[in-house]
Amino acid sequence: MDGRPSSAVVGVSLCDSAPLLWRVEDLRTVRSQGLVGALLGSLPRTPRQNVRLGRPMLLLPEEERLLTERHAAAAAPGDQDGGGVELRLQVQQHREDQQRSYEEQSVLALEDRKSALLRAMTSSHTESGARAEDEALQGRLEALDRSFTLPSSALAVQLSTARAGLSYCPEARDFLRADRPIRGQDELSCHASRYQVFRDLRGRGFYLTSAGKFGGDFLVYPGDPLRFHAHFISVCLSLDESVCLLDVLAVSRLGSNVKKTVLLCSPGTDGRVLYTSLQWSGMV
Amino acid sequence: MSEASKRADVSEKPPNWILQHPAYQQMKSLELEDSAQVHAAFLVHMDLTEVRQWKEVSCVKSPELQVILLEGREKEGAPVQTVLPLPAHRSLSHRSIRHVLDRGFPMLLCAVASDSTLVYQRMTDGLVTPDPPAGPFQDLGRRQHRKRRQKH
Repeated sequence: MDGRPSSAVVGVSLCDSAPLLWRVEDLRTVRSQGLVGALLGSLPRTPRQNVRLGRPMLLLPEEERLLTERHAAAAAPGDQDGGGVELRLQVQQHREDQQRSYEEQSVLALEDRKSALLRAMTSSHTESGARAEDEALQGRLEALDRSFTLPSSALAVQLSTARAGLSYCPEARDFLRADRPIRGQDELSCHASRYQVFRDLRGRGFYLTSAGKFGGDFLVYPGDPLRFHAHFISVCLSLDESVCLLDVLAVSRLGSNVKKTVLLCSPGTDGRVLYTSLQWSGMV
Repeated sequence: MSEASKRADVSEKPPNWILQHPAYQQMKSLELEDSAQVHAAFLVHMDLTEVRQWKEVSCVKSPELQVILLEGREKEGAPVQTVLPLPAHRSLSHRSIRHVLDRGFPMLLCAVASDSTLVYQRMTDGLVTPDPPAGPFQDLGRRQHRKRRQKH
């Protein structure tokens, strides 16, 4: 079999400017380069929880840019307009299936209600008022026939947990070439200082993920996040950017509460990055 | 009787005792325009000398940043540290922090609130690994899950 070249190229799908990876090999390739990404998808068999998530993987803008610079990423095939027509057909089919299901379920639901009504009325049946009750029952059944609608929120929808032929990610082996640009140059929304810091820390062997939870730019791990806790919360800023002292105190206090050092990171002159560690002084 | 008069003396401190304090006057002589920063520096100076009993506390002007920095030793024979006192509502840049770090001494940033509360932050060049969580660690095993289940 044709073996994958060691410098594999991953196929990045753009979903409204979010760079996504769908293939398992691509996820593996990206992890082997020390990039972590973030899984977004729910697993069909364990929905309604976000402790374990599945594909697709969302890349940080810095990760996408790093891959692009290493010529290790390209626009995924089938991402272009060709796929659009197929997709529209699938959506159309899905809507028709839903409509059919709705009509069937409406009929069944009406029958269900009628038999429930019948059971309820005949169970409280007394000998003397038999005829009057029969007429009342008929009246109610007819009213039900006229006015009953199944609310669409009550529709039962079946979700397949197995592939069942749905294939948003063709596994056909496709030789990706890194000269297919993912997006225009000016579209990359990567702040210069963030990217420089990202590249420098990655170059030193740290693993980085997004630090939105901690009010910083990156969480910095001494190794793979599956094995280590983060040591640092990285806050990227330019050397001359002015920050409010209260914000410095807030982020430092948060860092000490979660046992991480806050790093102020700024790209300096001659390509070096300057790091200042912020720690709670412990002076009470 | 004498104690009462002593107490009376203390409570009769002149309202502008800060202005007459030798440390403050020394700072004033450095001729900085930023009087709020001078006031902050004075409060930190008092905290270091009187409360924390630091030794050899002195003030020095930083011409580039136009602020007063304090230097001192925590104990006799301890290394000299630099303290940058700033009013809490101020902003600062990473460059000015690097400037103070470049003096070569361990650095503390001190934020002075309007009610004179002082908060000290340690600033160090490079990546300082945080202290690991303190042990001893006990493997809870199944016990924790069992406890949670019982609650429901």
